[in-house]
Amino acid sequence: MRVWLNDKPLTLVTGMKIRDAVNQAGLLDEIEKGSKVFDEWGNEVGLDGVVENGCHYALKKNN
Amino acid sequence: MKNWLLTFILHGLFCVMAVQSACAAEPVQLRILYLNDFHGYAEPYPSSGHPEKLGGAAFLADEIQRQRENHSTLLLAAGDLIQGNPWANLFEGKSTIEWMNALDFSAMTLGNHEFDFGVDVLNQRVRQARFPVLAANVRGLPSIQPYVIKELSGLKVAIVGLVTEDTPVTTHPKNVKGLTFSPVADAAQKIITELNNRADLIIVLSHLGFAGDIQLAKTVKGIHVIVGGHSHTRVEKPMKVDETLIVQAWEHAKALGILDLTIQERKVIQYDGRLAFIEPEKGKPDPVTLEIIDRYQKKAADILNEVIGEAQVDLKGKTSRSGETNLGNLVADILRQKTGSDLALINGGGIRADILKGPIRMNDILSVLPFTNHPVVLKVSGNELKDIFEYGIADLDGTAGRFPQVSGIKITYQAAHPIGQRITRMTIAEAPVKPEGWYTLVTNDFLAAGGDGYVTLKNILDTMDSKASGSTQDNRVLLFDSGRPIRDIVIDFIKEKKNVSANVEDRIKKED
Repeated sequence: MRVWLNDKPLTLVTGMKIRDAVNQAGLLDEIEKGSKVFDEWGNEVGLDGVVENGCHYALKKNN
Repeated sequence: MKNWLLTFILHGLFCVMAVQSACAAEPVQLRILYLNDFHGYAEPYPSSGHPEKLGGAAFLADEIQRQRENHSTLLLAAGDLIQGNPWANLFEGKSTIEWMNALDFSAMTLGNHEFDFGVDVLNQRVRQARFPVLAANVRGLPSIQPYVIKELSGLKVAIVGLVTEDTPVTTHPKNVKGLTFSPVADAAQKIITELNNRADLIIVLSHLGFAGDIQLAKTVKGIHVIVGGHSHTRVEKPMKVDETLIVQAWEHAKALGILDLTIQERKVIQYDGRLAFIEPEKGKPDPVTLEIIDRYQKKAADILNEVIGEAQVDLKGKTSRSGETNLGNLVADILRQKTGSDLALINGGGIRADILKGPIRMNDILSVLPFTNHPVVLKVSGNELKDIFEYGIADLDGTAGRFPQVSGIKITYQAAHPIGQRITRMTIAEAPVKPEGWYTLVTNDFLAAGGDGYVTLKNILDTMDSKASGSTQDNRVLLFDSGRPIRDIVIDFIKEKKNVSANVEDRIKKED
């Protein structure tokens, strides 16, 4: 399936999680620093949440 | 006497009809409390971006009791309750269901992870539950119901369960053998047609993910509320799609969802929704839940301390980042054997401790493999294997954690050669790896997604994307078992074999 993280397209297997998307985008360090992931409707999503085909996510620094 | 009786009955009937009519005509208030993706997180914990501890089943339970006071209330669970954290896993979800029974849940839908212990265990959990367990789009499980109708304050509330159609490709195939997962929109539409105005309110309790819920609301008309799960989405205010409200309460008991509805003549005329965040420092624990948590934690401590086998030699794992280790070989061997793959690859950085010669306890395995990675079997070409292992041995000082711990393959290399050209020979089952040949490789989900920089593995998923879309897995992913951590596979192997031993065998050998 195809998803986007910070506008970067990623290909993941059905059942993979937000954590896998962040990992594939090489941004796990940002998570360690406290960043959070949001869906295209502005909702925070947990790292163990499943990625959904066609969705856009954004990693944002914790304010 | 007969006339008196008839008058009495008719009068009673008239009263009942009058009450029902009033209920239909007058606004009725209903509070829905909801939880999703608990995954056995009984204790509060700090998560990424949230350094303060959140959650805790006992604190959530207290919030539930507070929110129930003076309200006509439903308490719903939207799937993935019984699997995840050891507090649930060590008891195959029994602890979670006992807690849910104590809280008097109204209904629960199945999540994909409810299938991870297999159908027999799932049936046990459904029998244990003192509330209906729902899934309208699953056939082959007589213990579950497609929907239930609850009567509250004169309202008939239909609650329909739906679980993701992707379940069969995200758990081990044996866990869903004999079951059929039909399209969720078709299943929902069928039930709504069947209800045919028998319900004043229709709630879909879904485990589809937030985007899936939006799609469902657009496709199927007549759903008043979707209480969702699966995507672990923190929906702070209900989203309205056409006439359907969609809510979800994040994950791991870190929030309780609260949705207040005013219903009149089968319409939601007013609503107000929010999440109550479970902040242990501000709350108090529910004593009944606390007793359940403590009892299972004590049992868990005993289980984790039980001797499950014996190491015949010291099993070295701490140096797995920089070279072959016997513990790395053992874990890779188990993974290859249990999945029937040609070869196995795990990242050295994923092995975190040693096991000394002598008794092995479950706790030891949790120290060695602290991450909840699970197995992924991929179809890989010989050329891709060359790229994968050239990358794996490019960091020979081992700071990055990518050093490959392998099984089923032997590799020789020249350290003096430039990075990317170091491998001089690779064999699988004593035969040279054929560049155009195809092999089955088991690895973990972290590496399969390109973790530790394994771009070639990530690219395998990219090659699928041109052919596969949506929930259809391309045939290069032969197994994606998100329900069984690799450490559980290792634990079961040691329990079965009792005595384990492993050697360093020059599986990855430097040439002089």
